[in-house]
Amino acid sequence: MTSIAEQQEDRAVTEAGAWLARLQRDDVGEDDGLAFEAWLAAAPANRSAYVQSLGVWHEYAAGAEEVTAELARQADRPRPLSRRWVTGIGGLAIAAGLAIAILPGVLSQTASQSFVTGKGQHQRVRLEDGSVIDLNAETRLKVSFVRSERKVVMAEGEAIFDVAPDKARPFTVAAAGRTVRVVGTQFDVRSRQGELTVTVARGKVEVRPGVATGHDYLLTPGQRLAVGATGVEDLRVVDPQEAFGWRIGRLVYRNQALSVVVADLNRQFVEQTEIGDPELGAIPITGVIVLDDPRAVMARLSLMLPIRSVPSDRGLLLLKK
Amino acid sequence: MASSEPSGRRGEDSPLLRAFLEKRENLLLFLAARTRSMAAAEDLVQDLYLKLATLDAGAEVRSPTALLYRMASNLLIDQVRSEQRGSRRNAQWRLDTRAILGGEDVHEEPAADEQILARERVRLLAEATQALPPQMGRAFRLHKLEGLSQAQTAEAMGISRKMVEAHIAAAIKQLAQRLRS
Repeated sequence: MTSIAEQQEDRAVTEAGAWLARLQRDDVGEDDGLAFEAWLAAAPANRSAYVQSLGVWHEYAAGAEEVTAELARQADRPRPLSRRWVTGIGGLAIAAGLAIAILPGVLSQTASQSFVTGKGQHQRVRLEDGSVIDLNAETRLKVSFVRSERKVVMAEGEAIFDVAPDKARPFTVAAAGRTVRVVGTQFDVRSRQGELTVTVARGKVEVRPGVATGHDYLLTPGQRLAVGATGVEDLRVVDPQEAFGWRIGRLVYRNQALSVVVADLNRQFVEQTEIGDPELGAIPITGVIVLDDPRAVMARLSLMLPIRSVPSDRGLLLLKK
Repeated sequence: MASSEPSGRRGEDSPLLRAFLEKRENLLLFLAARTRSMAAAEDLVQDLYLKLATLDAGAEVRSPTALLYRMASNLLIDQVRSEQRGSRRNAQWRLDTRAILGGEDVHEEPAADEQILARERVRLLAEATQALPPQMGRAFRLHKLEGLSQAQTAEAMGISRKMVEAHIAAAIKQLAQRLRS
């Protein structure tokens, strides 16, 4: 059964495709423009369908070379390998529309370089030693390499570090008054509002108090150390892929308060969500959130929770159902 | 360029600038159909605005909106030309670099300002392309991935331009529906 709304949406998507194709004509001109203008004005659904299709169209423009290479690979091997672990993480369809920028790592011996991401931005940084840092949204960090040490200072944010082994030059990350020290490994460091978590996927990671008081920890794969703003330390076993999910556009939560989830979402999207009723902030969330767009995320959450979302001037407002 | 009135005042009075401000979002969407990103479309809107500012404010314009779209279309045609030049230059540069580095694979390092997609997303885009019906998929690949114009695509496939446009339109619909959520 299809509703009238669905039929209208389907028609808008069909017409949006026709418009994008028509505007590719070699002799596109003012008549096309005026007709396009009239079509946009004819129904609000037209504009949103067009913007949606345009996003996909631009993704193909940005990734033309990579997609062509991938198509050649898929032709050789019809079943893509990494599907398996994607299914492992929750079996949901992926819709991570997040584009990332890759910067070439051109750090000289003693140079230091700063990296900053804003709302909704992810960035991959390749360092000269072969290490890779993936920055989550709203993250500020500085990388400096000297002869005896590879050093990162994270002022705020979250990043996954994939560290190239080099026994002579340990890799350290300073965040929230602690120092994380490794030789060669993969781990996630999150430092938000004075709270620090370190999750290890591979290798061994040492966490030392630094200027803060506390204990020394040697973390092994699958362990997560969380240090609260007040210094309370909590060591537990987790699935590292959960902490690493943001890199592929998904957030994984176990019993996390809605207020924390919304704060995370507000880093990933420019459109901001506010919790209108303080009682709602404490609702525990367990599940995988696919980061496509804030409205779709809230629509899915409201299916599971006693909440509803309404548009506000900043974005969305969450209210009790 | 010379005007006896400050440009702010003139802006309020000029029907053309008023129409521009009113239609700015729509012009952006129009231009974005042919650019590689929204940022590139914003640049074109800015170019359009600059061109408007140099127009004779006294000239009578019967239909400001039509003129705006005519100017926007001209910008599109110009930018496609310069983009083709740009990409040819890039390819040449890559070829040279590769030769210098003795065949080492250097193309994995994109320029700092080049936006590239997460690997996971690239695979999804490729899978969605793969799922298109054969003729539709071929038209889409030639036009969008290999950068042929619709006319060139029509020639390569031995079909009419109209048919190419219809294939592209249907491909966009199917891809957009599959890739959005």
